[in-house]
Amino acid sequence: MSYILAKSKNEDILKAGECGGAVTSIFKYLLDEGIVDGVLALSPHDDVYDGIPTFVTNSEDLINTAGSYHCAPTMIGDLIQKYFADKKVAVAVKPCDIRSIDELIKRHKINPDNIYTVGLNCGGTVSPVSGRKMIDLFYEASPDDVISEEIDKGQFIIELADGSEEAVKIHDLEKEGYGRRNNCQRCDVKIPRKANIACGNWGAEDGWTFIEINDDKGQKLIDGAKKAGILETKSPNEAAIEGRAKVEKIMIKMSKKNQEATYPLVNEVEEWNRCIGCYACRDVCPICWCYKNCELSKSYFKDDIIASPMPIAFQGVRLSHMSFSCVDCGQCDDVCPMDIPVSLVFDKLQKKYQNRTGYLAGVSDDIKPPLYSPDKVEL
Amino acid sequence: MSDEIKIVGLLCNWCCYGGADTAGTARMQYPHNIRIIRVMCSGRINPSMIFKAFEEGADGVFVGGCHIGDCHYDAGNYKWSRRAKIVQDIIEEFGIEKERFRFEWISASEGEKFQKTMEEFHTTLSKLGPLELE
Amino acid sequence: MFEIKHTLCPSCSVGCGINVILDNDEVVGTFPYKRHPVNEGKNCLNGRNSVERFNDKIGSDIDLDKAIMEISKEINDSDKVTVLLSGNNSLEEASAIKSFSDENNFNIAFYADDLGNFEDVASYNDVENASNVLIIGDILCENPLVGRRIVHAKQNNAKIFSNIKAEKSVTANISDEVSSSSVGEFLDKYSNLDDSSVIVFNTVDSAEDLDKIRNSGLKVLPVYSKPNTKGVLSIVEDNSKDELIEVLNDTDVLLVVNDNIVDEIDFDFKSISKIISLSAFENDTTKISDIVIPIKSWLEYDGSFVNAMGDTQNFSGVLESDVSSVFEIFEKINN
Repeated sequence: MSYILAKSKNEDILKAGECGGAVTSIFKYLLDEGIVDGVLALSPHDDVYDGIPTFVTNSEDLINTAGSYHCAPTMIGDLIQKYFADKKVAVAVKPCDIRSIDELIKRHKINPDNIYTVGLNCGGTVSPVSGRKMIDLFYEASPDDVISEEIDKGQFIIELADGSEEAVKIHDLEKEGYGRRNNCQRCDVKIPRKANIACGNWGAEDGWTFIEINDDKGQKLIDGAKKAGILETKSPNEAAIEGRAKVEKIMIKMSKKNQEATYPLVNEVEEWNRCIGCYACRDVCPICWCYKNCELSKSYFKDDIIASPMPIAFQGVRLSHMSFSCVDCGQCDDVCPMDIPVSLVFDKLQKKYQNRTGYLAGVSDDIKPPLYSPDKVEL
Repeated sequence: MSDEIKIVGLLCNWCCYGGADTAGTARMQYPHNIRIIRVMCSGRINPSMIFKAFEEGADGVFVGGCHIGDCHYDAGNYKWSRRAKIVQDIIEEFGIEKERFRFEWISASEGEKFQKTMEEFHTTLSKLGPLELE
Repeated sequence: MFEIKHTLCPSCSVGCGINVILDNDEVVGTFPYKRHPVNEGKNCLNGRNSVERFNDKIGSDIDLDKAIMEISKEINDSDKVTVLLSGNNSLEEASAIKSFSDENNFNIAFYADDLGNFEDVASYNDVENASNVLIIGDILCENPLVGRRIVHAKQNNAKIFSNIKAEKSVTANISDEVSSSSVGEFLDKYSNLDDSSVIVFNTVDSAEDLDKIRNSGLKVLPVYSKPNTKGVLSIVEDNSKDELIEVLNDTDVLLVVNDNIVDEIDFDFKSISKIISLSAFENDTTKISDIVIPIKSWLEYDGSFVNAMGDTQNFSGVLESDVSSVFEIFEKINN
């Protein structure tokens, strides 16, 4: 593991990318050298609030994916598993993306040799529709005028077309029920250390990307991009490394506080009685990969559901199958037509499991979830 | 209303089921509320079976397996022991008291332990009353 | 090539956005469209399954020219031709069908779930901000993304009163009061609610109920079963089930455009001598049709739907297709 500061040597990328454009440059290198078949990254469709996973095969199109999209809470893990199994893919990953990829690798659903993962440090994401409403309510600017957003120093910052910026404290936004998604508020994995490299602006000088190189593959990526002449690097000073560590520490501390505040609420969840049994939470879950073979589709769980399924016989079964691998990506909350806070109980149970076994989903090294282990060990 | 308490018991063929048998042949009295389902090994029990039992109206679920080290299939009861912890974790999040789910290691010769366990479990459940799930 | 594209959900009139996943120009799944203001990436099971209908697409291996000739002959020979519009037709299609029918002096029929037409309808925001919500039908289960707005209303301290015939339902679970009486009695019971109350319904017992709803003075949101029923209502008047049966009794040639009327009304369709279906997908109506012509599905053309609250939403085709559009078929028939 080592740290570097990196910056693109390509003028266009430098302009379009965030803080140095290192991520886009590394993708360009991988595509141009033919190391990967394509790059899976977000690009905006309708506007900056509408980041959509896009498969780029021509490095000239990469420029559309440059920049960060905090209002695009997407999930990449299951896409790779379902649609890119036979391709070499480079992919930009938030911590929850790489955690889901890691869990799928452990389940032999993704071949780690086929993917290059460029991690993005993540302070959290915002749901697009509520994000727009939030900007409308708390900012002078209209949500339509925003050209990019940024989370930095505890603030949600929007940048407008004329170059001006406006910032509001995340804490104030979240107090009013806006700001980051609920699962992001309690997420305590901010740096994707299971990705080959983890990139971000924490601790970085202006115009540079701070990169933590996590493994040999990551080192080769950087060396290759440098050799190809698209990336320049330098060593960060001690203060930068400390600054970054401090940002991470503060963020995790905030998350722990939110965990303490929200986990006890699970027992009070009354929302289950409006579950319409549509299985959207299961179908969107990156860890649930059994699809048609899901136990919940078996006749003994499907019959006689007239109104809401009983939570123990629906979420209980899902929890027993995969809660120990929950990466708290919050997709289940996002897609629930009834706004049931599904992810809270899954995340809480993964934390219970972690306390019991030390296993943190998608982060713990080289071991299977202990529930799968054939070892003669009791918990 | 202790007579209406419903207990579902999932007992491993090689040990606990034998234990229940031993209790029966020795004419040891134990609460009749338990409905025994014989399984080949505690290692084949999924948490979902326990949940299904609660959904279908069980007030308590009991699982009996071989003592650790005695599994007929070498490690089945280790696997079950890990799953059992998950079951405990999950049920309490959905308003089912932890005490309504119990698992024990009982060998084929331990008729008395089976009897005692059933009596204890029955007492616990009687105190808790019938399970009401929404 | 992997692509994700925006479109609208065709499975009811709520007007949810849905993302379609394409792999080598084949529809392989859906992806949440979180930017869409109606549903924020949430889709019900029907919505997520809507793209699976693509597997029931009618093959384009028919002799189109011959079929068109046959249709021309049938509709020219008869003076009792009825054209059935559908809430599945886009606004543009519906207008074209109407002109086609008018030019040829055909009868035009349109069934709007017996829910009638309401000029002013409540918006989804009106539902969220209502003081009371009267629900008729199991809206939470059948139209979950409007149901969600009712849940929000409840969180905003609205009182929820529902009228549902089934013994158990999710809608009942969130309601303050539930009745299974007739819709008429139900409306009478809650006749003096304040004017920020909203009636949301996807079924009624009779036409009198619609009058009662109209006269209630409250904001009203009828939720139709098809994506553009509201839009088609701005082009033609709807027929009640009884009126429709009367029209069909007096029909020799029935031209159905992208609809599955057989499943919706109880009528002996064998009494009609020729049924012609223009349809993208196989259904019970195409099965009994004498002539079936494949047309583009909503995934293959650009158009617009008007959702239950009256918003016109445009959508773009996500797939190229050489299947004819409704417009092309009509042009051919007219020639």
